[in-house]
Amino acid sequence: MTESSSSKLLNGDTCHRTANGKKAARNGFVKNHCLLQQQQQLQKYRRPKEKSIQSHHVSRNAALYNKPFVESFEETPLLVAVLTYMGYGILTIFGYLRDFLRDWKIEKCHVARERDEQKDFVPLYQDFENFYTRNLYMRIRDNWNRPICSVPGARMDLVERVTPDYNWTFEHTGRVMEDVINMGSYNYLGFAENTGTCAEESAEATLKYGAGVNSTRHEMGNLDKHEELENLVARFLGVEASMAFGMGFATNSMNIPALTGKGCLILSDELNHASLVLGARLSGSTIRVFKHNNMQSLEKLLRDAIVHGQPRTHRPWKKILIVVEGIYSMEGSIVRLPEVIALKKKYKAYLYLDEAHSIGALGPRGRGVVDYFGLDPRDVDIMMGTFTKSFGAAGGYIGGKKELIEYLRSHSHSAVYAASMSPPVAQQIIASMKCIMGEDDTSLGRDRLRQLSENTTYFRRRLQELGFIIYGNEDSPVVPLMLYMPAKIGAFGREMLKRNIGTVVVGFPATPIIESRARFCVSAAHTREMLDTALARHRHPLRLQKSRPLIVRCCAVRWHQSGCAAFSAG
Amino acid sequence: MALGDAWKQISWFYYQYLLVTALYMLEPWERTIFNSLLISVAGMAVYTGYVFMPQHIMAILHYFEVIE
Repeated sequence: MTESSSSKLLNGDTCHRTANGKKAARNGFVKNHCLLQQQQQLQKYRRPKEKSIQSHHVSRNAALYNKPFVESFEETPLLVAVLTYMGYGILTIFGYLRDFLRDWKIEKCHVARERDEQKDFVPLYQDFENFYTRNLYMRIRDNWNRPICSVPGARMDLVERVTPDYNWTFEHTGRVMEDVINMGSYNYLGFAENTGTCAEESAEATLKYGAGVNSTRHEMGNLDKHEELENLVARFLGVEASMAFGMGFATNSMNIPALTGKGCLILSDELNHASLVLGARLSGSTIRVFKHNNMQSLEKLLRDAIVHGQPRTHRPWKKILIVVEGIYSMEGSIVRLPEVIALKKKYKAYLYLDEAHSIGALGPRGRGVVDYFGLDPRDVDIMMGTFTKSFGAAGGYIGGKKELIEYLRSHSHSAVYAASMSPPVAQQIIASMKCIMGEDDTSLGRDRLRQLSENTTYFRRRLQELGFIIYGNEDSPVVPLMLYMPAKIGAFGREMLKRNIGTVVVGFPATPIIESRARFCVSAAHTREMLDTALARHRHPLRLQKSRPLIVRCCAVRWHQSGCAAFSAG
Repeated sequence: MALGDAWKQISWFYYQYLLVTALYMLEPWERTIFNSLLISVAGMAVYTGYVFMPQHIMAILHYFEVIE
């Protein structure tokens, strides 16, 4: 384990070998040989009010990054947290009241109930588990599942709905809200369109192959379009081979079980997507969770895993798989890939990178987070991604070494049991990928990539100037805007829709209970005017609801500025 | 003119109150219940203050020996 190559740290320090250097502690854990040191001395210079988590340790490991990595997750202001809990408390009390009324038949119950004859049986519906759904979610349910009746591009048409009984049922009025600015679709490069080369080529593919495949990949569902797509994806990513699946969620949940099993260890990030969590659980491996994007936590877990081995027998793990995402869609943060790869190489673990949101959206050439950091795609063992977001289609892919892909072709559940990708969808991906790579002889791909990064920078900067609390990395096109209070979730969604802007608002359980947010997805199809309109209309609800974060942040910013002035003067 | 502005300001404050206490999400009858409970509790506190404040002030002044 202590070979000489691993005793020289990447940042130039050398570490002492355990044998003749420090003694191991009583629990066997050897300290202070970590690759990524925590910056203890910088803690005391943090301003007490604005405790945003800056990437302090990048300054130590700056050699790994070729551009500044700025991420901020501002802490919830105390007053806002207290008021949010109070709001949830009031809603809970009224929830109990309504449940009481429903139980005593004073009020009509719209929820699924057992029949009277079945009352003595084992209960079929767990009443309390749905407390949140019944009493909190239902009240603002009109912000979700809005039917769209046009292509979800930069502008879309929504079907107008009214509800006579407070969101238990909906009726369509027959009218359509037209040209709603779409700030919610994952349309990063603007390929969700029904005109242009991609759409025409998909239409031709439908005319040639039909719409359905009618078989699994193994049996009769392997079209030449799939082979063409897989070769193209492999070239796009810079890997040896790739395999494409019909559904992005199924790519994760059906392929991780094929890669790991009992006796393997999966180290997954705190905020990984449900598909990764499901795949990890289905595989039967031991799962350990490290704090979100926190490399010290990951390193500690790796060291513990290698030193102590499996739980009772202390045998070495068969393999250790680190599962991270490129961009985390709820936080807007980008994974610290250079550090993860440095750790992976040092501790000989495997890396599974889920680039669902980052492929096509990051990087100068649009090749994802690996391109963004300027790293070698061969360092990532398994590159997974989806075509839903930047390519305007559906489905997922896995890329890696040829042996890995050949293994997956025969052992993946998705290949054996699920239907393969539909031909027009595959053609859409082929056309859009060629466009991004520039192989269709236009500069459309390059223009769109540039437009996306300009829009991202502009939108984030303007939102910060307006004073909202924004999470995430500066360069990520996913922009979560914090709302915190439960009533503001519903109010924000409805007010935005009244002003013809469609947004996605997210609450519990997708986010922690007090950190509910509105999530914007900036797109290359948005023009500057559209973004300006969206921002201007933020001001109206702003004047109406005057987000608490605005007041506190103004104070914090002014305090920080005055504090800075005093600090630099003194 | 001033009355219109005052009315707008009051309705903005009421809207903020609805948002912060999550009454915005409740149905009108639930809002009525909550508001009446709040007003009755606040009213009782004001009434108690009105009734007992003179006595309390006299007792404090007596304690600090400002009055005999």
